[in-house]
Amino acid sequence: MGTMSEVVTSRPPAFEKKATTSQIPLSDKQKANTCSDQQNTQCSEKCDPNSSLQPVESFGPYFRLIPMSGQVKELQTIIRDKNTSRSDFKFYADRLIRLVVEEGLNQLPYSDLTITTPTGCQYKGLQFVKGNCGVSIVRSGEAMEQGLRSCCRSIRLGKILVESDLDTHEAKVVYAKFPEDISQRKVLLMYPIMSSGNTVIKAVNVLQEHAVDEANIILLNLFSTPAAARTITNAFPKMHILTSEVHPVAPNHFGQKYFGTD
Amino acid sequence: MSGRFKQDPPSSASSDSGGEDGSVLQMKEDEVDIDMAENEESQPTSPRPPSAGPQTNPTQAAVRSPRNRRQRTTSQSQTTRIREPILRGRRRTIYTAGRPPWYDCQGQLVEPFVIGVCGGSASGKTTVARKIIEELDVPWVTLLSLDSFYKVLTEKHHEEAARNEYNFDHPDAFDFELVVKTLSRLKEGKKVEVPIYNFVTHRRETKTKTMYGANVIIFEGILAFYSPEVLKLLDMKVFVDTDSDERLVRRLRRDIADRGRELDGVLKQYFKFVKPAFDYYIAPSMVHADIIVPRGGENEVAINLIAQNVMTQLQQRGFKLREKLAHANFGMSRPNSLHLLPSTPQIRGLHTFIRNKDTPRDEFIFYSKRLIRLVIEHALALLPFTDVIVETPQGVPYEGKRIATEKICGVSILRAGETMENALCEVLKDVRIGKILIQTNLDTGEPELYYLRLPKDIKDYHIFLMDATVATGAAAIMAIRVLLDHEVPEDHISLCSLLMTEQGVHNIAYAFPKVRIVTTAVDPCVNEKFYIVPGIGNFGDRYFGTEPSTDQ
Repeated sequence: MGTMSEVVTSRPPAFEKKATTSQIPLSDKQKANTCSDQQNTQCSEKCDPNSSLQPVESFGPYFRLIPMSGQVKELQTIIRDKNTSRSDFKFYADRLIRLVVEEGLNQLPYSDLTITTPTGCQYKGLQFVKGNCGVSIVRSGEAMEQGLRSCCRSIRLGKILVESDLDTHEAKVVYAKFPEDISQRKVLLMYPIMSSGNTVIKAVNVLQEHAVDEANIILLNLFSTPAAARTITNAFPKMHILTSEVHPVAPNHFGQKYFGTD
Repeated sequence: MSGRFKQDPPSSASSDSGGEDGSVLQMKEDEVDIDMAENEESQPTSPRPPSAGPQTNPTQAAVRSPRNRRQRTTSQSQTTRIREPILRGRRRTIYTAGRPPWYDCQGQLVEPFVIGVCGGSASGKTTVARKIIEELDVPWVTLLSLDSFYKVLTEKHHEEAARNEYNFDHPDAFDFELVVKTLSRLKEGKKVEVPIYNFVTHRRETKTKTMYGANVIIFEGILAFYSPEVLKLLDMKVFVDTDSDERLVRRLRRDIADRGRELDGVLKQYFKFVKPAFDYYIAPSMVHADIIVPRGGENEVAINLIAQNVMTQLQQRGFKLREKLAHANFGMSRPNSLHLLPSTPQIRGLHTFIRNKDTPRDEFIFYSKRLIRLVIEHALALLPFTDVIVETPQGVPYEGKRIATEKICGVSILRAGETMENALCEVLKDVRIGKILIQTNLDTGEPELYYLRLPKDIKDYHIFLMDATVATGAAAIMAIRVLLDHEVPEDHISLCSLLMTEQGVHNIAYAFPKVRIVTTAVDPCVNEKFYIVPGIGNFGDRYFGTEPSTDQ
């Protein structure tokens, strides 16, 4: 934790500057998007596919946001709204998870493949490379398992249970179970809410102990605080991170409301 | 006037399940077959096109004669005739099952040609109208009769009618304001609700008949030329001039022999109302006629002349739609209304699965569902959103967004479009789903509208029109046209599909520039069977497992 706070303090100017210009630290791209929905759609149309995932400048090239739209914002709004019913909450959270998962799968490797269509023509497509797995961080990460399974029917799923000490906020790994050959696989690490980033740090440490290369990890996240984003990217600069929003306030009620234990 | 017009639809909606919110398109079979339509009671025996619901016949009311006050249980020869969806005339074949395009290849309405047929009672107006339809080489004709527009009788008039003393032949007996309103809307291609007049109770039925504009509209009635406003709407005016003795003979025969009425009563009515009305109102209106047809329906020379004249006028408005669309040539730049999903590895990978002819069905369904979900999510993101601030459990207000249009309705084009309904339900709670069946006529290659079921207040919704693949765009254009005819604003329509062709995109965008087009890939062309190349094949067949066995 000590090293972590050093990292945080080593780069405050960038964040401070952002925070003063806007309550919500958005990249310029995002700001442009939120100006008007019309512009927003126009913009997302014109972006070429490779740039549709915008790296958030201050957090390095591997930290990306899913394409922003009024609709994603609405999903985030519903999830954050304290008056949202639990059934709505789960419904819309699942939608946002699905969007993040679909986007995250684009980070996985593929190879070219040409097939024949029913009209007898050739189609130059691609083939997903096997050898991926999902790892959810118990408990809130498990909310994302279904979203992943909806896209990859038979993907292997590992689990990590990290508990944080209520007083010191120190994260401790209690349980971890992975596919045996996880070191050979790409790992989709699932954890929806990051406020300090400590839990994810611990989880990635466990994966590294199982010989998983940090460059093979794709973290799927819904909400991150700027502090957590900075912490994670500094600790694991080669890990892919995909989220839907970077905002100083983390919706920490997510797990409780999703599983109904609030 | 408008007030009265608007009164009708709500009542119709309550009792006629097929009236307001759903309309089975089967007009032509009735329009072509006028005698059939004259008999209201024959409806249950009338063969329905595939998937026809309880829709009532749009033109049955339109062709009743004012003297049909008694209900007849049998009608002329056509009632019992077994009718196939194709009616073979002397010179041509009339397709009577679906509704062919009623707009040009830019999706714009072709103004219908309106023929007015006027003439004294029992002069043979309906026979002439039927023969004109037979002679005309147009696929879609609507027949509207003045008899549908009798005014609702008061108590006093009701008693008079019971004593044969109400004058049904006087202009005051008709609601000409409603006639003008209805004809004008039909001319604009809009859906209209035509009242059904009950000749027993002399009231309008709570039900109404749904009618649409057509290539040709024939408006017939004894006082068809009476109102100057109606005259303005008629493109051609035909007067059927039959000798008065012959008309009386026909009337006597019809009322006495066919309807079992007393000679005295028939004659009393004839001399008190029918003959004076002819002399005062009908005969003078002959001056408005462009063509006077002596001897009614037997006059084949006159009818041929009329048909030829109408055909000449219609020829500039060609209807060979799909063929034209397939060969239409547009510039290379894609329209702004096209919203193509980014070509990410996932989308290309999903396409590889569903395009591969060797993909087993369970994988085909699974991966197409994933792709469909992405399309729907993308289409939703294109809708307008408004800023809101919400309270959060963390106590910090959050500046977010909410969708601006609460009312969203999916409309799927049967059958492949239905595969997308589930994804829409997965992202929108309690979403309404309408359906449209459009099939390609194998003989003409033209799309035809067979079935329509939409929410009543569809004009208030934002529509997600869904079809899995769009080749020439002919079906999609027809579906959009239907929505526009139901007064859905063009910019409230999003067309969602998995795969389109360049032509399809251009055809739709050119016809309806405000319709948002959302798709995951655009292929270069269609083959001679109108399949997209390289394409997916027949998406519906592959999804539902109904491929012809030769393909397997």
